[in-house]
Amino acid sequence: MYSEKTILKHPWSVRIFHYLLILSFLPLAMTGIILYFKPLSESAVNLAMQVHVVCGVILTIDAIAYLLIGFNRVILFIKRIFTMSVTDIKWFMILGGYPQKLLLKKKVTVPPMGKYNSGQKLFGICVFTGGSVLIFTGWILWAFPHLVPGETVYLLGLLHTISAWILTLFLPVHLFLGIYMFDDFKAMILHGKIPYEEAKETAPLWVEKEIIPISRNQC
Amino acid sequence: MSGNEFTLERKREMNVTAKTYQKGEIPGVIAINATVCKGCDACKRHCPTGAITGMFGTTHRIDVDLCLSCGQCLINCPFGAPYETSDTVDEVIAKLKDRNNTVVGIIAPAVRVAIGEDFGLPAGSLVTGKLYGSMKKAGFEILDNNFTADLTIMEEGTEFITRARHALFGEKSEHGGEIGPLPQFTSCCPAWVRFVETRYPTLIPHLSSAKSPQQMAGTVAKTYGTNVWKKSPESIYTVGIMPCTAKKLEASRPEFNAAYKYNKKNGRGLTNKPYPDVDTVLTTRDLSRLFKKLKIDLAQEEEVAGGSLLADYTGAGTIFGNTGGVMEAALRTAYAVLTGSELKPLEFKPVRGLQGMKSASVTLKDAKYNKEVTVKVAVVHNMAENIQPVVNEVLAGRSPYHFIEVMNCPGGCINGGGQPVCSSGSSWISAIRPWFAWK
Amino acid sequence: MEKQSYQYIENPLQVTRREFITIGGMVVAFLAIPTVWITLVTSSSSRYLQARTKGLYQDDTKAAVRVSHANKSVARYYKEFGGTPLGHISEELLHTKYINRTKVLS
Repeated sequence: MYSEKTILKHPWSVRIFHYLLILSFLPLAMTGIILYFKPLSESAVNLAMQVHVVCGVILTIDAIAYLLIGFNRVILFIKRIFTMSVTDIKWFMILGGYPQKLLLKKKVTVPPMGKYNSGQKLFGICVFTGGSVLIFTGWILWAFPHLVPGETVYLLGLLHTISAWILTLFLPVHLFLGIYMFDDFKAMILHGKIPYEEAKETAPLWVEKEIIPISRNQC
Repeated sequence: MSGNEFTLERKREMNVTAKTYQKGEIPGVIAINATVCKGCDACKRHCPTGAITGMFGTTHRIDVDLCLSCGQCLINCPFGAPYETSDTVDEVIAKLKDRNNTVVGIIAPAVRVAIGEDFGLPAGSLVTGKLYGSMKKAGFEILDNNFTADLTIMEEGTEFITRARHALFGEKSEHGGEIGPLPQFTSCCPAWVRFVETRYPTLIPHLSSAKSPQQMAGTVAKTYGTNVWKKSPESIYTVGIMPCTAKKLEASRPEFNAAYKYNKKNGRGLTNKPYPDVDTVLTTRDLSRLFKKLKIDLAQEEEVAGGSLLADYTGAGTIFGNTGGVMEAALRTAYAVLTGSELKPLEFKPVRGLQGMKSASVTLKDAKYNKEVTVKVAVVHNMAENIQPVVNEVLAGRSPYHFIEVMNCPGGCINGGGQPVCSSGSSWISAIRPWFAWK
Repeated sequence: MEKQSYQYIENPLQVTRREFITIGGMVVAFLAIPTVWITLVTSSSSRYLQARTKGLYQDDTKAAVRVSHANKSVARYYKEFGGTPLGHISEELLHTKYINRTKVLS
């Protein structure tokens, strides 16, 4: 049985940021698909557009607020997701051992990972760059398509569509694995803590190098 | 982005449902390709009449009864969804190749500073000589619309003087006919004319009775032009080459067959089959495509002259393409006719520039009545933004102006719906309509 | 308030000052550069229009004759064929009437 030691992986600022991400991005993706294919009646598509706009505003405010409030955490996040090495290639070659675990019920040795495994780093890059592109282009497409030169708007529309598809297709992977790894799910969605032993197994380099016990003076 | 799904059946079908078109007029020069439209609402913000329907985010459609065919939606759509339903390039090429026809190209002022852009030249390059050369190579005779612009000034300027002298001094008409009221509106912009006809018909008496230079060119080509080119009127095929999509609609107006009626009355020409004054219209973009189909590279052509007196124009005629240009040309002549001496300086700067509504006054001495008068003029362009207050003032009888020039397109005809779509865009810094679309 | 029920936290000093400034700078640049680009592109969007306007006024400035009433060819047209402005040939060929389209048209 695990001991009851836990690590605070996601403080409340991170969790609130993430709740708002879920609240805004899931409708954005779904309405985005409706807007791309336009399969419904005119009023329905217009409603989808309105929902898309409202959620886009929420996403923008969430992103900007977190950028300002948690600027140091954003910097740390960027440092982590862009720090790649040969270990990451090795991880991708076995896809982190997930297909084997899920489909073949076989356990394979995975190269030691930090706080984010290679797949999560890739997802992090997609979310940071793709999300920024979507927000930037989204505002211009909504507010200024008649003021910004046409060729530029066309280019922005293309970038918006490409980033949207990358994130929307990557999202189910994130949702599935995020729920499958149930301890991590509880950490992000509920209380922010992850069992020490669990972390040592899935993110050994993180536990080894970056985790410290809280001192008696901290409350 | 071809739009040639426009068949005769569809034309007839549109004619049945459209309510503001006479038989024979093109009922909807512009249409929107639903598979390309993203519903971004950029077009709606450039439309002067709110003719584009479809909620935000959904595919849009054009209500042809509200549409003026101005083409601003077409040149401003980032995705190229609007297209022209009338494309006669192949028809013109066939006529050019037919030796029994004399194809006359009526070339507008705004074309010569924009067509170079389709051949790699910088924006605004004045390529008149090369344009003439390319047209001649293709087989066109040239009737420069600037020649008829000068003609329009003679007609419209004289009309204005008649109206003004009647209003100011009670002078009666020479022919005993009715004299129109002030302020006089210019009538060369077909989008503006259709705007008046569909929304403010009580303003019709204020419109100048003079035809647009394009239509004058058509009648001149098939009457006086027969002497110039020594050809029979029914063998002359007139092609308007315009920066404007609304000119396609204008040329299709059924009453514009004055040359035919005149020729029939005077026994000139052999046919009893009516022909229009202007047979067809090509936009600047259409002409570029025609040249490319005939493997003519305008940029490489040598400069040539127009070829006949019908290509002879003055500086006043050529500035018609700019907002304020018609007014400036009219003032140069009206001033000279009223006072007996030339306007100094000829450049009348207060009517120039991109400001939405410009006004000016000219104080002069009417030599005939030996009285000093102050002529107040106004110039409006970008109808979507600027026309309503001007119209309201005239409707209320409170307009301080005697002569008002109206151009639908921002900047004038040089920014018309038929011009090469400039990759750098035609957007304005001052916001047109609200920014955040919702419904 | 949440009870302090965890025993470990992340060491807050994960980023050196140099790294902070570098990455911070890149983030700011990543956000600022597109904004500047869009502003520049939009503010120069009417340049082609001004170029075309200038082209026509240049055509006027260099013209030998600059007023319509001095166009010899127009004068010839009137003399040989058209008569006088507002005369009866002009009324027939060069003037028109307009249509009230608020009434139903066929």
